[in-house]
Amino acid sequence: MYRLEGVTKVFDGTLIAVNHLDLKIGRGEKVAAIGPSGAGKTTLFRLLNLTIRLTSGRLWIAGQGVGELRGARLRALRRKIGTVYQQHNLVPRLRVIHNVLAGRLGVWSLPHALRSLIRPREEDVRAAHQALSQVGIPEKLWARTDELSGGQQQRVAIARVLLQNPEVILADEPVSSVDPTLAHGIVKLLVELSTDFHKTLVMNLHSVDLALAYFPRIIGFRDGQVAFDRSPSDVSDDLLTALYAGGGAGAAVEDASYAVESIRSCPPILPSH
Amino acid sequence: MPLNPSEAALPFSHRTKSHFPILFGTCFAVAFVGSWQLAQIQPGLLFEAEGRRNMAKFIAGMFPPDLSVEFLRLLVVPLFETIQISVMGTVLAVAIGFPLGLLGTASLAYTGILHEVELTGSPFHRFARISPYVLARGVLSVFRCIPEFVWAFMFVRAVGLGPFPGVLAIGVAYGGMLGKVYSEILENLAIQPSEALQATGASRWKVLLYAMLPQAMPQLVSYTLYRWECAVRASAILGFIGAGGLGQQIELSMRMFNFQEVVTLVLILFLLVAVVDFLSASARKAIV
Repeated sequence: MYRLEGVTKVFDGTLIAVNHLDLKIGRGEKVAAIGPSGAGKTTLFRLLNLTIRLTSGRLWIAGQGVGELRGARLRALRRKIGTVYQQHNLVPRLRVIHNVLAGRLGVWSLPHALRSLIRPREEDVRAAHQALSQVGIPEKLWARTDELSGGQQQRVAIARVLLQNPEVILADEPVSSVDPTLAHGIVKLLVELSTDFHKTLVMNLHSVDLALAYFPRIIGFRDGQVAFDRSPSDVSDDLLTALYAGGGAGAAVEDASYAVESIRSCPPILPSH
Repeated sequence: MPLNPSEAALPFSHRTKSHFPILFGTCFAVAFVGSWQLAQIQPGLLFEAEGRRNMAKFIAGMFPPDLSVEFLRLLVVPLFETIQISVMGTVLAVAIGFPLGLLGTASLAYTGILHEVELTGSPFHRFARISPYVLARGVLSVFRCIPEFVWAFMFVRAVGLGPFPGVLAIGVAYGGMLGKVYSEILENLAIQPSEALQATGASRWKVLLYAMLPQAMPQLVSYTLYRWECAVRASAILGFIGAGGLGQQIELSMRMFNFQEVVTLVLILFLLVAVVDFLSASARKAIV
């Protein structure tokens, strides 16, 4: 599903977030990414879902090289990648149904998208209802999204991905903003759904326990590189201690890369590349 | 010589920073004294015998306000004209400001996370993206920098007397203001929902439709209503230069030194503005 060769992302010419990464993830695989804050996991996810462009190296998604993709072909490839974010990234003022149906925006025409905001089609309502049933909150279909709890909002975000029906699901810290009991439920839900629908699943997790409990392949990231890549039974305590040792310095890098991002999104400074 | 890191991090040092209030204070003092003289401020004039007499005459002439039925009946049409000018002017302003505001929104036009992957294109591509943005910004600033009063003068010349030049003047001047503020509202939204929708393969138009506009709607509506309030006041003033409405009546009564009528008109204008304030305040409360 994914092939990375020497993938590097440098922010602002100086901050190396992902450093010469080589990685292969097969179709249908379930992979957990762990590692200290600032290891470049979030940056890697944003590279993998084609939100940001790599500085150097080569990346293939579903057999397609990601070079100078733009416009319609870029969007077509993005449709194959579903992302669940740490902060849900839903639109709080919209009703749940519209947030769920937003997963279809990649395939809808613009008039269809506009009409749906005013009055969703019968079959779209049914699809949204079904997706919400799969994540366990069908009764929230017409609720306003900002009235839901954090855990429920994450379920809405998962339902959005279900409607998108991608080939791969990327989940970037999907449970770090919900309490531990809910966290188990949501990780389990994502693993089961991706098994049922034959999706590749790559999940970035703070909790090592969750990663070891649910995933057959664990990749440890540190300083923008792969520290280890093995099955959970081979992940020893020593490896984990080494992975997280002195993680304080790295955290600053991750924060800084976000700062660079937010500076970039400010007008009228043009990105330098 | 290498600076120590904390000094280097700041764009200015503490020494230059402390100069600013003194500099500003001096400039203000000079400007104040200069303006006092140039604007011929002579408070004494207000209290001289002749000034007092004239003022007393002016105020005495205002009472009682003219509340006769014939006069009030005469005002019904101008009153509605004022309201219509403000409504149509605001509608025109939205029609001008909204599309230009979208074009002038940097996060939609050429920069930020919605363009991160695309921006590696040729210089020509960049130019093609940026020029509509610069053009829209330019047009908006020309529209809003010229006061509606001046626009009205020009439109009265162009299309003749009546409410229509007032509508055009408000539409153009306020269109410039609305467009600028719309684009700023859109630029300052949380970007995460837009990023998420872009990642599903949605085009920029759909991101605008599903992430940006729903988030921005309360602010957009609220500012538009505020502009409508301003338009009511402005449409009354525009009447002075022949753009119809209550303003024209005020001007006529003034010219005939009929201050009793002027007071009635000002009262009506005051009530109108109060009602509009109330309406738009309740509408804004309802939408948030």
